Amino acid sequence: MTRRVLRAVLFAPLALMIPGLRLPAQDSANAFDAGVRAIILLTHSTATPHGGALTMGYLTQPVAGAQWRHGLLHATGMVNLEGLTLREGELDLGAWGEGYVDRRHPHSYVHELMFGAESFQTSIGASLHAGRGFVPFGSDDPMVRPFVSYPVDHHLAQILERVVLVGAARTGPVIIEGATFNGDEPLDPSTPPVFRRFGDSWAVRGTLRGDRTPLLFGAELSASYANVKSPEYREGHGLDQRKAHAAARFTAEGERITRYALVEIARTTDVDRGRDLYTFDAFLTEGAVCRGGLGAAVRWERSDRPEEERLLDLSRSARPATDLSILGVTRWTTLSAAMSLPAMRAYDAHAAPYVEIAHITADRTSAAFFDPRQFYGTSRMWRLSTGIRLGAGHAHGRAGRYGVASESPMSTHGTHAHQAPCFS
Amino acid sequence: MNPCRILRIFALVLVGGCLFDRGTAAAPRASCTLAGSGSSLGMETIGVVGCALVASRFTAEVAVRDSTAYTTTWGFRAAPGNMLAVWNVSGAEPILVDSVIVSGATTLGDVAVSDDGKLLIVATERVNGSLVIFDLTDPRHPRQLARLATQETYNGVHTAEVGRIGGRLYAILAIDALSSAPTPESKVVIVDLGDPANPQQIFVKAVPSSAPFVHDSFLRDGILFVALWNAGVEIWDVGGAGHGGTPSAPVVIGSVATVGGDVHNIWWLHDAVSGSRYAFVGEESGPAVLGFSSAGDIHVLDVSDLTNPREVAFYHVAGAGTHNFSVDESNGILYAAYYNAGVRALDVRGDLATCTSAQQVATGSITRCDLGAMGREVGQGLTGGTPAVYVWGVMLSAGALYASDMLNGLWKLQPVR
Repeated sequence: MTRRVLRAVLFAPLALMIPGLRLPAQDSANAFDAGVRAIILLTHSTATPHGGALTMGYLTQPVAGAQWRHGLLHATGMVNLEGLTLREGELDLGAWGEGYVDRRHPHSYVHELMFGAESFQTSIGASLHAGRGFVPFGSDDPMVRPFVSYPVDHHLAQILERVVLVGAARTGPVIIEGATFNGDEPLDPSTPPVFRRFGDSWAVRGTLRGDRTPLLFGAELSASYANVKSPEYREGHGLDQRKAHAAARFTAEGERITRYALVEIARTTDVDRGRDLYTFDAFLTEGAVCRGGLGAAVRWERSDRPEEERLLDLSRSARPATDLSILGVTRWTTLSAAMSLPAMRAYDAHAAPYVEIAHITADRTSAAFFDPRQFYGTSRMWRLSTGIRLGAGHAHGRAGRYGVASESPMSTHGTHAHQAPCFS
Repeated sequence: MNPCRILRIFALVLVGGCLFDRGTAAAPRASCTLAGSGSSLGMETIGVVGCALVASRFTAEVAVRDSTAYTTTWGFRAAPGNMLAVWNVSGAEPILVDSVIVSGATTLGDVAVSDDGKLLIVATERVNGSLVIFDLTDPRHPRQLARLATQETYNGVHTAEVGRIGGRLYAILAIDALSSAPTPESKVVIVDLGDPANPQQIFVKAVPSSAPFVHDSFLRDGILFVALWNAGVEIWDVGGAGHGGTPSAPVVIGSVATVGGDVHNIWWLHDAVSGSRYAFVGEESGPAVLGFSSAGDIHVLDVSDLTNPREVAFYHVAGAGTHNFSVDESNGILYAAYYNAGVRALDVRGDLATCTSAQQVATGSITRCDLGAMGREVGQGLTGGTPAVYVWGVMLSAGALYASDMLNGLWKLQPVR
């Protein structure tokens, strides 16, 4: 039944697009945009696994992106070079995923490469995109949100870097997306996905755009669900995941002030042959205000993290686990604040200094092996980061939405992509 | 903007970033203190004789020969699981007499002594997994003879069974699956220990994707029982079943999928009364939060026809799961480590496949006898709750039962008979 629904969601856009293909090209924008971004980061953590304080410096999130539009056709791509600059991962207590723990993993070199077509008529729009990119699940990628440090819930609230086919339909304030993709998460920045696994996982997302209805005070509501097969064991025979996510997102761009807020909840359940094993929950809220190039942001998060057997490098874990057990579930509560200073500009490039501070609490949820107090020497930690955001050219829009599901469908809003000016 | 200018800016930033990727990694704090402790537990049938507390590391498997016990360590606690501890167990309280740090390991998950008492083998996990072979000329002070680390053991050696086939010593290794490895599949590797200083890998077989893991094996009389997780149990002729199998070219002669899968370990019983009719299978199921909870039953296979094994009985403990076994074959008692439920003893003598309808449970198309309902449980140990235990392994030796407890260390217990 679910496959049937998914098939309908995926292929409905095709039917809707057929009349659109006959539309004259003058209704569309033709454009090519490109840009580069990177962040110089110096971060200090008051605790580390079985160690004391640690200060590290990186170039994080070095990306080059481009998008191209011609008539109904659209292509977007992003190269991420963290595989060169963040081989050991970015120091970030609580972070986990893709074999990294307490360090945020480097992303794939081919972060995004999607091709598609979209049509937008008077009442209904539809699009179909394929390639490697974001699955329509959860919230925007943290890379395009105000904080440099990723939240703990990254692997509970986003699914990315998959070979994915995404269909989307939109009418009025309602957007429906469906996708099928490969369940295996990236092994490392350079190893390609397992193409034969394409289609073993699926996701759906519904969005109600607040700017199209007065009932929501401008807030965008979304809910999504994903069934991911064996993300941690590439061969496809590990634990599966069922993921659910709901969010409310608000943005307001005035002449002088830009505001942004997000509230999200997420739940991931590990499943063994249809049997629920472990459940991990997340709640996150964040907001930002930008005025005259000066930005301030705050984030509060409480997210569960599965604790797994670590390797000799205590920031790494083996995938998959040797059996169905985990070492415990740690609840990470993080209160973060960030400030971004007005950017210095030269030509089309800019450099914006910023500072972030976070208070982190790690709590056991049972008397399991993993005890944060023993492992870190304390359950309360601080992280202080500072650096400079660098950029030139066009900025990536909301990461994670394609075609008519994105904020700027070409035939209505042109190619401008929204991004908070203080945190880009 | 000029694309060349963008590229130039980006290249400069990138080079700067690469040069800037430096850290000040601190070494792990490591200290290991071992002390004897005679604290007593609440007990029922299986009494506590003594114990030795290991607080700095999680204790894993135990192997005992005569008056010397060897315990391994697992994962990270205050220190990594790279220590082999050697105990004098001649008295009530085990006394630490030596320890060996195995470099490059995070877990020493398995340890075994050869039947002649001359060799000790230790499995190391995870990445750069290996088999370490120690000489036991002085049993209290093992001396490393060799270390086998190949591309096939790279993923991690989860368990190592040692046994003799045709008079020659072999080790059977269960290799972990590892996504990032050159060969990510879980595998069975057979190693010839005829010259223990120069171990030779003579057979490798990846497990079927339906498994997808191998966790342990049991070798006896040239017949190998392989624990293939969700694929159940396979029985291999490696030289003793008359099907033409050899250690370097085993022949699969039978298999069975147990109820629930998750096959972790096996013991093929040779009982004076029951004969060689039964094999006992440990199911390591989930959810299991290590140190806190566990799940999984003991499954009984009738293997009187090795080519057609079938499941006939099971034993279940509510709220806990089994791990490794040791069987007192002369008295027909199976001792099972039961993680958070301590140690259980089962009377496994006689007919386990015949029971009343009230003692039967039907699961799908299989009807099995419930050993608990049949009154086959004859002993419990380490079940008092204070301190909490998480028992990994048990071993019966020279009239005493030893239990390795991940949380507390090594227990010396009084067997039920």
